[in-house]
Amino acid sequence: MNSLKIILRRRNSCVLQCRTATTKKKIHDPKEEEDLPIFQFPVSKSSDRRVYVWGLAETGALGVHVSHGRGRTKKSNSNFQFAWHPLRSSFCEKFDVTKIACGYGFTVAAVKTNEQHKVFGTGINTDSQIGYHAPRMGHPLETLLSPAPIYIPYRSLETKITGLAAGRAHTLILTDNEGVYTLGNNAYGQCGRKINPKEEYRGSMVSHNIKTLGRESIIDVCAGQDHSLFITESGKVYACGWGADGQTGLGKFDSQGPPAPVTGDITSEKIVKVASTADCVLALNDRGELFGWGNSEYGQIPMARNQQQVNSAYALVNFTKGLGKIEDIATGGSYCLVCNDSGDVFVWGFGLLGLGPNVNHTPKPKQIPPPLFGRNEFNPECMVKNVACGIGHLAAITDNGNLYLWGRNRHGCLGLGHNKDQHFPLKVSIGAHVLEVNCSVDHTVALCKPFV
Amino acid sequence: MVKIHDAAVAFKALNGIICVYKPPCVSVPQVQHRVITNLIRDLNALPDRAREQRVEILGPTNGPMTVKLVPNYADDPLVCGPRYIREDFRCSWATHLGLFSSGILLLGINEGTQLTYQINMGKPTRAYKVHGQLGKATDTYFWNGRTMERSGYRHVTRDKIDRVVAHMQAAHQKTMFQVSGLHMDSQSTYELASQGLIRPANAKLPVIYGIKCVQFDPPNFILEIQAINEYEKFLWTLVHDLGVQLKTSAYCTGVQCIRQGWFNLEHALLRKHWKLEHFIDNMELCHEVLEKHDNMLNNKAANLTA
Repeated sequence: MNSLKIILRRRNSCVLQCRTATTKKKIHDPKEEEDLPIFQFPVSKSSDRRVYVWGLAETGALGVHVSHGRGRTKKSNSNFQFAWHPLRSSFCEKFDVTKIACGYGFTVAAVKTNEQHKVFGTGINTDSQIGYHAPRMGHPLETLLSPAPIYIPYRSLETKITGLAAGRAHTLILTDNEGVYTLGNNAYGQCGRKINPKEEYRGSMVSHNIKTLGRESIIDVCAGQDHSLFITESGKVYACGWGADGQTGLGKFDSQGPPAPVTGDITSEKIVKVASTADCVLALNDRGELFGWGNSEYGQIPMARNQQQVNSAYALVNFTKGLGKIEDIATGGSYCLVCNDSGDVFVWGFGLLGLGPNVNHTPKPKQIPPPLFGRNEFNPECMVKNVACGIGHLAAITDNGNLYLWGRNRHGCLGLGHNKDQHFPLKVSIGAHVLEVNCSVDHTVALCKPFV
Repeated sequence: MVKIHDAAVAFKALNGIICVYKPPCVSVPQVQHRVITNLIRDLNALPDRAREQRVEILGPTNGPMTVKLVPNYADDPLVCGPRYIREDFRCSWATHLGLFSSGILLLGINEGTQLTYQINMGKPTRAYKVHGQLGKATDTYFWNGRTMERSGYRHVTRDKIDRVVAHMQAAHQKTMFQVSGLHMDSQSTYELASQGLIRPANAKLPVIYGIKCVQFDPPNFILEIQAINEYEKFLWTLVHDLGVQLKTSAYCTGVQCIRQGWFNLEHALLRKHWKLEHFIDNMELCHEVLEKHDNMLNNKAANLTA
């Protein structure tokens, strides 16, 4: 009996072994869903910011110096020259970045903190524009590949950074109650102090503090190529630095050391914004009227006598008649860009203006067709809110937080994946709501807010 | 509504396109089959032409013969079958709708098959209502799939969904240039782009022109999408992508086509109206629409018009 049982058992096991796989389609269990855990993905705070950088990475201005992607070999590691597409900056993930400014081959960023190091810099440091950084005594670094803190002798650690500006080789740091700190090259007086022709800027530890101008506190700063502009509380504009093209607006063509009030038509106006990237300056008053001074070789500041250098502020009210109330302004190397309160963008000057390949010069403000910024029958309310300019490229941000770039694509600074010039505005692929964009000669930085 | 008395007259009128409302989970060939079956049923039920007569000449050939007409049984429906059969009809669709999609479907009947071909070549835009649900992801991105993941969605608000959707729309406008087959450095590209939207050069690559969230009632939401060259799976993945961007997961619960070119839901015939009289009425209506907007046929313009 027992042996029979064993035989039967064996047979059973044999039968079971023969069945290996089933070809029948597996119907999933509906109860399976209930067993799944409910994930809660992390959601960003409303104060969180994301920073995207692209363009020339060789100078270290992007603060990113490792190649991204799977084939990360030693060779590609050292060969990371260009960021063709917007890259998320890892530095800005670690700190709460509030302000960013792009100079020529360097970038400075202000972080929200109550500690000593409030401003960080990366990139070219030939004139100590991003501070003194020496791994060994007496051997200061001339290039920084990743962000390093800039030492500024703040009086109080509670001081907040409210503005940043960067020129060719100088940096302006605006604080809430300690005025402006300036760093870097002062060969033309752009740091707002007396010009010393024998001064050595490499490895310099000097930072200059401008507390007030005309007994008023400073509320905004702007840096051109080699000049600086300051706006005080009552809307007065002060300037210092190089004046060969009249860009200081002081009625002369000499360099200016300590900041002096800009002369001309703006003396009685309340200025709210000034814009300058190279050597032409635009200023906007509280009523949305435009003023300009500086270089006018390409008709940026059209004067009656066809002057090429305008050395005191000139009202462009008649010139911009019919454009409506101007909201935002920007100037590039050879053109000006403005946007008005109905979200239209106007451009004049010379270069790749965004009016197609056939138009490279327009003496009068010409509107860039709004469909190029996404205004079409599916999105009729699309408006441009902010504009910005580098030396050769232009940028506009719409109310939806979309960034459009066009112009000269030097070293891939348009972030379109190639270095071909772009003749009309094209959206840059950034997966966040763009709040602010900073353009420089060959790199661009966008400060964004995550969607969720 | 026209009253039809004669099957032959009705059959001759059946040349053109009709606009029907395709239910979900019924494939387009099944819809065609149903339409043709209904047409045959209704045509065969109508009073038919008279049965043919046969001439019979009888009698001896060398004498006076009698000639008489007798009913021809070879022509009798009971002998030769129904008057109208499936092979009498040609039927084709203008643009395909997936199995799980519902909504407007343009069908061409007999001579109308040429019209559907021309509409297809003209690449009309289609508008969809895409229903989605947050908090769950499936392996097919659709309700019929197996649940792969569940996630919280309490942080999603109308404002956030609108922002992401507006961003997606702007991103698709960039792909519009890439699929238009235009050279980015040419003046003609600039002129076309400054007029507005450009249609794709290829019939394969989907382009989205507008996305809008029309209803948000968490966890459910409805997107209105206007697109060319899209297909069912593409719309499902779009919902999935939206879920990922919103830091949760989402799957599609339904796709409804609400507009195709100038045809909208008012023109579409519901399944209960798939009858001969309605078809003939609808065919006239569709022809009026096509005559009014003849750019739907063989549209070769590069910019978007319909």
